[in-house]
Amino acid sequence: MRLYLSQIGALVRKDLLIEARLRERVVAMGAFAVLIGILFNFALDRTAVRPQEIAAGLIWLTIVFGGLMGMGRTFQMEREDGALEGLLLSPVPRDALYLSKVVANFVLLSAVVLLIFGIFGLFFSLDFGRSPLALVAVILLGVLGFVALGTLFSAISAGTGMGESLLPILVFPLLVPMVIYGVTATAALFAGLPPAEVSGSLRMLGAFALISLAGGTTLFRFIVEE
Amino acid sequence: MSLSSPSAPLPSTVGAPALEAVDLVRDFGTVRAVNGISFSLRPGEMLAVFGPNGSGKTSLLRMLSGVLRPSSGTVRIHGAGGGSAAGRGRVGVLSHQTFLYGSLTPAENLHLYGRLYGLEDLVERVPARLEAVGLSGRGDDRVKTLSRGMKQRLALARALLHDPDIVLLDEPWTGLDVHAAGVLRDVLGSLRDGRRTVVLVTHNLSQGLELADRVAIQVRGGFAFLERRAMVATPFEAFYREVVEASA
Amino acid sequence: MSSRTRLLALALGVLGVLAMLVLHWQVFFWVPTEASMGIVQRIFYIHLPAALVAYLAFGIVALCSAVYLWLGEEKLDMAARAAAEGGILFTAIVLITGPLWGKIAWNTWWTWEPRLTFTLLLFFIYLGYFLVRSSTENAQQGKRFAAVVGIIGALNIPVIHLSVVWFRSLHPEPVVLKAEGPTLHPDMLTTLLTGMLAFTLVFLSLFLFRYAVAQLEYHRALARRDADRAFEGSGPSRPRDHATGGGR
Repeated sequence: MRLYLSQIGALVRKDLLIEARLRERVVAMGAFAVLIGILFNFALDRTAVRPQEIAAGLIWLTIVFGGLMGMGRTFQMEREDGALEGLLLSPVPRDALYLSKVVANFVLLSAVVLLIFGIFGLFFSLDFGRSPLALVAVILLGVLGFVALGTLFSAISAGTGMGESLLPILVFPLLVPMVIYGVTATAALFAGLPPAEVSGSLRMLGAFALISLAGGTTLFRFIVEE
Repeated sequence: MSLSSPSAPLPSTVGAPALEAVDLVRDFGTVRAVNGISFSLRPGEMLAVFGPNGSGKTSLLRMLSGVLRPSSGTVRIHGAGGGSAAGRGRVGVLSHQTFLYGSLTPAENLHLYGRLYGLEDLVERVPARLEAVGLSGRGDDRVKTLSRGMKQRLALARALLHDPDIVLLDEPWTGLDVHAAGVLRDVLGSLRDGRRTVVLVTHNLSQGLELADRVAIQVRGGFAFLERRAMVATPFEAFYREVVEASA
Repeated sequence: MSSRTRLLALALGVLGVLAMLVLHWQVFFWVPTEASMGIVQRIFYIHLPAALVAYLAFGIVALCSAVYLWLGEEKLDMAARAAAEGGILFTAIVLITGPLWGKIAWNTWWTWEPRLTFTLLLFFIYLGYFLVRSSTENAQQGKRFAAVVGIIGALNIPVIHLSVVWFRSLHPEPVVLKAEGPTLHPDMLTTLLTGMLAFTLVFLSLFLFRYAVAQLEYHRALARRDADRAFEGSGPSRPRDHATGGGR
């Protein structure tokens, strides 16, 4: 077990180190968040609708598009010089490899989500409600499930000719629960409702995350092995 | 400063094979890349595998290293299954791809692999191995700034970091300059310590022949020739061409 | 082996067509008209069975995919793909009859009715299954990828379904939701059951035919490969034509 965790730790460290040095994905996702916010400003008619009312939906959609864009490159870095083969040669269990990518993507995405909240809060003078902890729980659980699925499918898309353009087709149908429960809970919390109101959604988001993680952990090796 | 420490003590059974391939077959759909290869190597033996492009040499090597699953047949590494984590942990592979991360430094690359192989003494081991391949001076530079020869030297250090008793080399001289090729040859020579079992796939007939105990010529997925080096007719180049043409 | 399959497929097909004829007679001449929606409600007897068969098909896809990954037997992948082809066909039927019904009955093409929405999502999961299959260089990899898509899709389907139904309960549309109407007359139930039987038989027939064709294609490819090898004499086989993954 200690070895397993050490292996995952080493891999996560590798991914975060590379990201810190290249800053490709985080810059792309961050710029995307800001630019989408700008576009939303022009796309919304503020006389017809108050941003506060639809903010939850806008935020989650931005998370979906931006997040997927960033996750698409997850296995890109493993292609140069055949790095993935080097990892597969080592005694690392394939599910450890998957989990390390999930953790790294989760860290990355969480940072971007923070940015999105900041930007949208700024652009649209949003009120985030009175229960920040519940809000954080909703976001984190949703993002966890999202990252579990996105990481798994980005391994698939990296192995196809279509690459990243395949990712939305594969992932979006499965993200419907996250969007439904995530947006509903977020909107409720933004409106000032107490955390107890969103416990059902939290449970479902938890189930979603659990199923996606379990599926990904079990199935990853079939994607990456020949 | 040595590139590797002596490998783990041998199992008590004398003469037990270190690396065994039993009837290895590999299909890709209906294409058969490897068609029933068997051989057995004792600890300390080096097998050189020659053969034209497309004969399935890389597929064979990948099955031995545990990365490619055989369609049928087995690989045994000191008795353990070839694809298992235990088996993979005793194998080191040097390919024409370096398996290195360009954005990390040599030390960081080695630390990563060290932890993946479960090594504990990395603080001492990594600098020592970098020194052994002459890369101590470039310890803090990103790998992508290194020359091809330096990258291959680092890849060699990576391959031998965990002191594997099975070493597999796939066309390691590809793209190397004279100096790096010399370093490689010296390292290969030092691997002949009587305990390490080596399989070398190469187009470099002279180098391969010089180092090998046994010689195989792989043509279209099978061993058209597998003998001790002493049995190889000279000049080897002509003999090699004969064998390849005969099986074509 | 495949001639038995084809015979069975033919038998099921004939039965299915007969059941379809019975169904059509029932739908057009026999079953009583539903009170609130009128004649157009009869689409329901096509719409619902098609949906159920689409779901059944996906269940088969997921099951065969799971066992395929576990055992690696080609015929399981053939079965999964055959089921997927039938499944996506029936999904398309649902997605055509649904809006048609909606337009005629309530003057809206699309009503976000949960079952219909869910079927639309299922359509895209099927689409992903086929896209991933065909867009890999290595056909074997494509089959494995598709199997993963099928299994993950199936694992998430319960959550997706629950979420879509729950969403609808929060945002009800001013449209009569219960497609069957407030009460189900026994004759309606009979027609519905006939529909399910007919559609299931037709699907199974298509499935078995498709599976038999896949088997024939596979055996032909194998025979061609063996013939090539025999022609060239005994010895290692030559990788055929596009030896994409098979090479070195």
